[in-house]
Amino acid sequence: MQSYWFGDIDEHGCTPYRGGPKALAKRLETIKISPEHFVPFDWRVAEKCGYMPDHKEYIRKLRDLCFYLAEVGITRQYESRDAELLQMVRTLDQLDEVSNVLTERALEWHRINNPGFSRKYMRLPRQKLLPMMKRGGSQAFRQIINEIENLASARTSLMKEVSRRADEVVPNCSALLGGLVAARLVSQAGSLQTLSRLPGSSIQVLGARTALFSHMRGGTPPPKHGIIFQHRRVHNAPKEVRGKVARVLAAKLAIAARLDQYRQEPAPEFIEAAQAAIDKAGRVI
Amino acid sequence: MIWVENVLVSRGEGGVYGEHMLKEFRVWDPYRSKLAAYYYLGGVFELTPDLVVLYLGAANGTTVSHVADYAGTVYAVEFAPRPMQDLIAVARRRDNVVPLMADASRPDRYATLLEMADLIYQDIAQPEQVTIAIRNLMFLRDGGRMLIMLKTRSIDTAEEPGVVLEHSVAALEAARVNVLDTKWLNPYHKDHAAILCVPARD
Repeated sequence: MQSYWFGDIDEHGCTPYRGGPKALAKRLETIKISPEHFVPFDWRVAEKCGYMPDHKEYIRKLRDLCFYLAEVGITRQYESRDAELLQMVRTLDQLDEVSNVLTERALEWHRINNPGFSRKYMRLPRQKLLPMMKRGGSQAFRQIINEIENLASARTSLMKEVSRRADEVVPNCSALLGGLVAARLVSQAGSLQTLSRLPGSSIQVLGARTALFSHMRGGTPPPKHGIIFQHRRVHNAPKEVRGKVARVLAAKLAIAARLDQYRQEPAPEFIEAAQAAIDKAGRVI
Repeated sequence: MIWVENVLVSRGEGGVYGEHMLKEFRVWDPYRSKLAAYYYLGGVFELTPDLVVLYLGAANGTTVSHVADYAGTVYAVEFAPRPMQDLIAVARRRDNVVPLMADASRPDRYATLLEMADLIYQDIAQPEQVTIAIRNLMFLRDGGRMLIMLKTRSIDTAEEPGVVLEHSVAALEAARVNVLDTKWLNPYHKDHAAILCVPARD
């Protein structure tokens, strides 16, 4: 017997399925086919099934079903728990870019009106630099600085939210990496599902695309770390063991991502053992 | 194919993606669409109103909309939710487009929805692009053709595009598919090649 979206066909003829898109979609889920035994069909088979007078009507019914399926599919994809985290962390990184560009420009502007301004002021933390620049600027200038300060405060609250959400969505990766970097890792991979299917060696160099490809094309040294460099145990590690720390951390992250994807809860024993392994890799003998 | 003063066009309702209109025709830009580039470079496969097309990798439905202007029925397969939203909007305005949200590498998931196709057109950015194309051959009618837009850089970034094409053609031949014609899509699309092929008859 062969099952198609509109009905079943066997030697006795056709058993049609009637009903709206929802009912048809539900039945479709129960059909399992194997490519070796499947017989693709001509729409005329459906015509014989009785309730589709012509190709136009056939396509109309099929389209109703497919629109329904596609919309359900889209909703399901967007519902996955990491979809919003992804947008949040990308917004965060873009906020940084925007506020840096604006600050640089405002500094150049500020310089023009303040001959005494020099490099040493650039080293001031931004919270001090911005209010200082505001004094004596024109109204529009002050307004811009205010906006930069607003962006900074929006960034702070978004960052807290990203960390919190990452602890929920990827608890094991967050425990190893910290929420923010874990979220960036998911964002770079594209989704938690993709991340959970990557080997440790790929996770290690996620985000080091340029270096990786220049290595593959031109034989430059391979990158030791991508995004995970942002984690303190990697960038604080002494140079000679940094690659090792990155490798061990990435290997543990590969396991953590799978736990996050399929178990969806923290695994304390694993985290403890993984932390110990990573710390051990960082020790210089 | 319809040409107006050496510009490739299609006949249909405009305003799908901001395309230009030429009289009552929609201009089909070779820089945006690999299939249009294929025709600009002398591609021979004609789209006719009786064709059933299986379109793998439909994306936002830009090229799909032009194919639908020419062909009978277009089954448009796309996996990612974002382009799918645009594709649905395109399909709503063209009643010969059937949008399928599915992974082209898993034909068993959408097999029950398809009819036999006269043309399988594939434009997907996957390293195993050719394998996926071969897997979908089960939907090709006798005498039907397959047109693959090979993204050599997605298949192997480090290898020379020419070598990637050679390997792909070899893989097709090994699967008993005869390659009729290959065409580089320069200058419209860098490192892309069109492969027109047909399964060998038993």
